[in-house]
Amino acid sequence: MARDDESVSIDLRHEFETVLIDEYWLLDNSQFEDWLDLMAEDIRYWAPVRENLDRDEENFFQADLLTHFDESKAEMMLRVARLRTGFAHAEEPPSRRRHFVSNIKILDAPDPNQAKVASNFIIFRSRPGHEEHLFVGSRRDHWVRLNNNWRLQERLIIFDHDIIENITVFV
Amino acid sequence: MSDFAALVDLDRCTVSPRVFNDQDVYEAELENIFTRTWNMVGHESQIPEPNDYLTTFIGADPVLLTRDANGRVRAFLNSCRHRGMRVCRRDHGNTKLFSCPYHGWSYDSSGKLRGVPQLDNAYHNELNRDEWGLIEVPNVQSFRGLLFANFDPNCESLEDYLGDMAWYLDLVLNRSKNGMVAFPGCHRWRLSGNWKLGAEQFGGDNYHTGALHRSMVEIGLGPEGDYRGDNPWTRDFEVKCINGHGWINFDADGGQPTDSQIAFFEQIRREARETLTPAQADLVLTVQVGTVFPNMSILSFLGFTTVRVWHPRGPKEIHVQSYGLVEKDAPPDVRDLTRKAMGLTFSPSGIFEQDDGVAWGDIANVQGGPIRSQYPFNYQMGHGHGKTMDDKPGLIHPPSTEIGVFGLYEKWREMMSR
Repeated sequence: MARDDESVSIDLRHEFETVLIDEYWLLDNSQFEDWLDLMAEDIRYWAPVRENLDRDEENFFQADLLTHFDESKAEMMLRVARLRTGFAHAEEPPSRRRHFVSNIKILDAPDPNQAKVASNFIIFRSRPGHEEHLFVGSRRDHWVRLNNNWRLQERLIIFDHDIIENITVFV
Repeated sequence: MSDFAALVDLDRCTVSPRVFNDQDVYEAELENIFTRTWNMVGHESQIPEPNDYLTTFIGADPVLLTRDANGRVRAFLNSCRHRGMRVCRRDHGNTKLFSCPYHGWSYDSSGKLRGVPQLDNAYHNELNRDEWGLIEVPNVQSFRGLLFANFDPNCESLEDYLGDMAWYLDLVLNRSKNGMVAFPGCHRWRLSGNWKLGAEQFGGDNYHTGALHRSMVEIGLGPEGDYRGDNPWTRDFEVKCINGHGWINFDADGGQPTDSQIAFFEQIRREARETLTPAQADLVLTVQVGTVFPNMSILSFLGFTTVRVWHPRGPKEIHVQSYGLVEKDAPPDVRDLTRKAMGLTFSPSGIFEQDDGVAWGDIANVQGGPIRSQYPFNYQMGHGHGKTMDDKPGLIHPPSTEIGVFGLYEKWREMMSR
């Protein structure tokens, strides 16, 4: 890699560290509508199920593989609207959620207005009673710069769970 | 504690909280119920070729479902005869030989013990391999592609066991000419709660939807009011079937289908006129939910169909294993919409399903106290008001009622009393 590319990559990595931390600040503080504003209008937000198979046999891109999420902005807005009704009992009273993002890596930046970014996440959720859960995994994002703001166009969420908990969180 | 029958009061229609949280009850269920019932283990389309397999559970026992080299579907305990380790630790695949990771005993897809390391110098060729094949579940039968297995060598046929429930299952599983296939993959999630709470809700609890799923009503995705339905008895009704099975039929708005979905649903309705009776065909593609006793449930809604098992993991824990079914003939865009709708609504992240899990967890976690345990739960709704009808089988009552739900506990009581 040429020196110039490397510094571009380091700058971009720093830039996305800010973008992703800011994103999780919004989720930590239940600012779901502001979080939705980060999504491009044509976003695909998806999370395939995991399988226990022979090494290298698992294929997230396999046709028709079941998904926990495979949503456009309209469905994401529906989830937020539901949480705001006050009757989404799985989140009433609201769980305590803390979102952590790390291992940010720029996978590709074909032009100044696009970036493919990988990151790892840990989300801690504490519900009434001693019910505490972790959601752990990795994300493959495709961000696009629109009117000088980074907007998320695709997020592939790879949960590292076999038998998962009831998913009331955004990732 | 041996008098489990006393926990279900047939006259008063009540059920003791201990049915949902007691370790002794749970262990008796594994023995008295799960070894004697037809348990859903998979779908034929998941193991289409010889030597295909998938892994699942019946009650607490790990199960390996195979299609043997001759094409016959078999079910075995997924446990090595030597030390008990699971001989297959993958979800599904294709293999001629299941080799136990621990010491290497190997079994073929018909359960036969083929390979034993050091058979000569360690066992002195004295081990009779014919005696030490995988333990077979003696009965495996298919209903419209859904595979059920039963440990009881003297059990009634699956057809007899399902009885009048088959009429209702057909509304989904036999509504199209070429039948259904399973989506690849499986939703698996853990819930606090007793397995029967999932089973009873799908088997006949329409009553909870207005309260527990009120968030869905508020955002315009549930019926206004209290879910009593516009066409009681004919399109909106609940059914108590034999053997503890139950069914809910509900005519709800199907969201905003695309042109392609509308065309495909029309195709299904046309095909149903050929595959089903007229009375059945009239009900196709309404919201349909049911439970086959003990713990298999089905829900068909917006064109998607989840078939799932509420696997018991102790009295207070459930592992849900849910497969998605779709018509073999569905075009790719319809399959996509179907899969997405199932993820959005009925899955670990489902905007209906999330709230169910919280209710069941709460019930299991707060009912262990000695005082609360003395006071049974009320299942009295609608008893004496069900009707038999000419156009459909079972005991019918419009929403809401608990005659179907309580039917599960009547069957439970009968089996726990043996």
